[in-house]
Amino acid sequence: MILGLRTRNVAWLGVAVVILLALPLVVRNSFAINIFIRILLFAFIGVAWNLMGGYAKQLSLGHAAYFGLGAYTSTLLQIDFGISPWIGMFAGGVVAMLASLPIGALCFRLRGPYFAIATIATAQVLMLIFLKFRDFAWGAEGTTIPNLGNAPLMMQFDAKAAYYYIALGLLALGLAITYLIERSWMGYYLVAIGEDEDAAEAIGVNAPRVKRDIYMISSFLTALAGTFYVQFIYFIDPNIAFNFSVSIEAALVSIVGGIGTLWGPVIGTVLLETTSALLQRWLGSSFVGVQLTVYSLILMAVILWRPTGLIGVLTDACARITRRAPARV
Amino acid sequence: MAEALVIRNLSKRFGGLRAVQDVSFSVNENETVALIGPNGAGKTTSFNLITGFHRPDEGSVVAFGREIVGLRPHDICAYGLARTFQVARPFGRMTVLDNVMTGAFLRDKNPDTAREKAREAIEFVGLSAREKTPARDLTTIDQRRLEMARALATQPRLLLLDEVMAGLNPSEIDQAVALVGKLSTRGLTIVIVEHVMRAIMSVARHIVVLDHGQKIAEGSPKEVVANEDVIRAYLGSSYAHVPVLDET
Repeated sequence: MILGLRTRNVAWLGVAVVILLALPLVVRNSFAINIFIRILLFAFIGVAWNLMGGYAKQLSLGHAAYFGLGAYTSTLLQIDFGISPWIGMFAGGVVAMLASLPIGALCFRLRGPYFAIATIATAQVLMLIFLKFRDFAWGAEGTTIPNLGNAPLMMQFDAKAAYYYIALGLLALGLAITYLIERSWMGYYLVAIGEDEDAAEAIGVNAPRVKRDIYMISSFLTALAGTFYVQFIYFIDPNIAFNFSVSIEAALVSIVGGIGTLWGPVIGTVLLETTSALLQRWLGSSFVGVQLTVYSLILMAVILWRPTGLIGVLTDACARITRRAPARV
Repeated sequence: MAEALVIRNLSKRFGGLRAVQDVSFSVNENETVALIGPNGAGKTTSFNLITGFHRPDEGSVVAFGREIVGLRPHDICAYGLARTFQVARPFGRMTVLDNVMTGAFLRDKNPDTAREKAREAIEFVGLSAREKTPARDLTTIDQRRLEMARALATQPRLLLLDEVMAGLNPSEIDQAVALVGKLSTRGLTIVIVEHVMRAIMSVARHIVVLDHGQKIAEGSPKEVVANEDVIRAYLGSSYAHVPVLDET
């Protein structure tokens, strides 16, 4: 037993890690590597979202706010002060954490759909601020990140694989944090708040404080993804940094995969990103927009068929297989 | 005997409705007090005022020598007042054990210790066989048991039980009565809201009767069932002749 993991699970995890580490060495196709990076990145954002949106069921549709704050903080630090994005990444995380305090204080007054709407507004407001105040951060034109060639200390690499490993590292970090929280008192408190906030308060759960804390953690992680993303595409503007689709994607991958579970967002991202990338490739050129239609149909099917997420399908299948297996001594 | 709970001139209005008007009563330590009255008399509202879910318009609630009006529900629970809800509100997605552990975390953040404390509380209410069952799959009486176990796991000094016997069949009521008695012998102070008169007579030594938000009577079970106002407002005339069987 390591940290409560069964030996067999550790073995499976080991196999998965080896495969993931070896993947960019085997697959050389840059289209495929790009998809892998997107999957890892959005799985990470989903994991960050899931801490608050999944476990505590505080349905945020404004995580783009923190994605964008992370992206802009590291870019400003890099371009104006020459500070490495590696440091800027964590500075962005701290900025996002601090920003989540007033945003949370306002939005957590609301519950359910009203909370979700309020969070959408916060991300939109930030986007408008960055659009209008040009002197501060390049306004609507945005800026390219200066290309320094292969500069690992500035988070710039010639090899696509390097970005793959960073995204993999981020995802591993997010999963480790989720794993630890899930098993601690905080995990129990989060689920309790998600199930029935009043009943949780009645047994001594300080719901406002727990929600504030998990929002800070979730925002911090989301900001790391923002920094990574702009370093990966070498460009930033308000529309990319605070794009509503980031907020949607974060929620969607978790909901499709299974909210409030460790692996839910990962499973959801693998399914959705792969589907959307492949549909784009197969159908994108023949009929414009047809890939989006198919994508939406798949989404509806999943949500109608498995409202609790695909992870349920997998665990049921596992249970069936283990039940059929002979009893171990 | 020391006073565990002193309520003075408690009032709460919802719009034009006076849900609780100028209610005062007190509860001694290690005593079981019942709060009775017809539907809408203000019993549950009183609970909500005491436990911080509503803020009273007027009045004071002093628990173990400290004013608790204005504290948040979780602070009041941490101070030692735990409540159950009229309609059981388990965390459906969690197992029985996880539900109760969530309560136990209030006193100890270590999962192993919390699990141990939770198991004690679960055993106390007689739910050990259902430990791994998701809370949403429990029967009504087991959900009530779970609520009690979860409240007990917070290690309260005073327990407020809101209609724990509603919807139970006669044999289940006997079990619930036994459980409340067991809690009382453990040294807990209990305030219980209940409609089942048979149960109240056997668990409470002191009864407070509310009607239309006001206290209309107070006293021993014997005094209360003989009180004209109580009979008119709540019990119905047949109760006037029922002898009190169980006077403990």
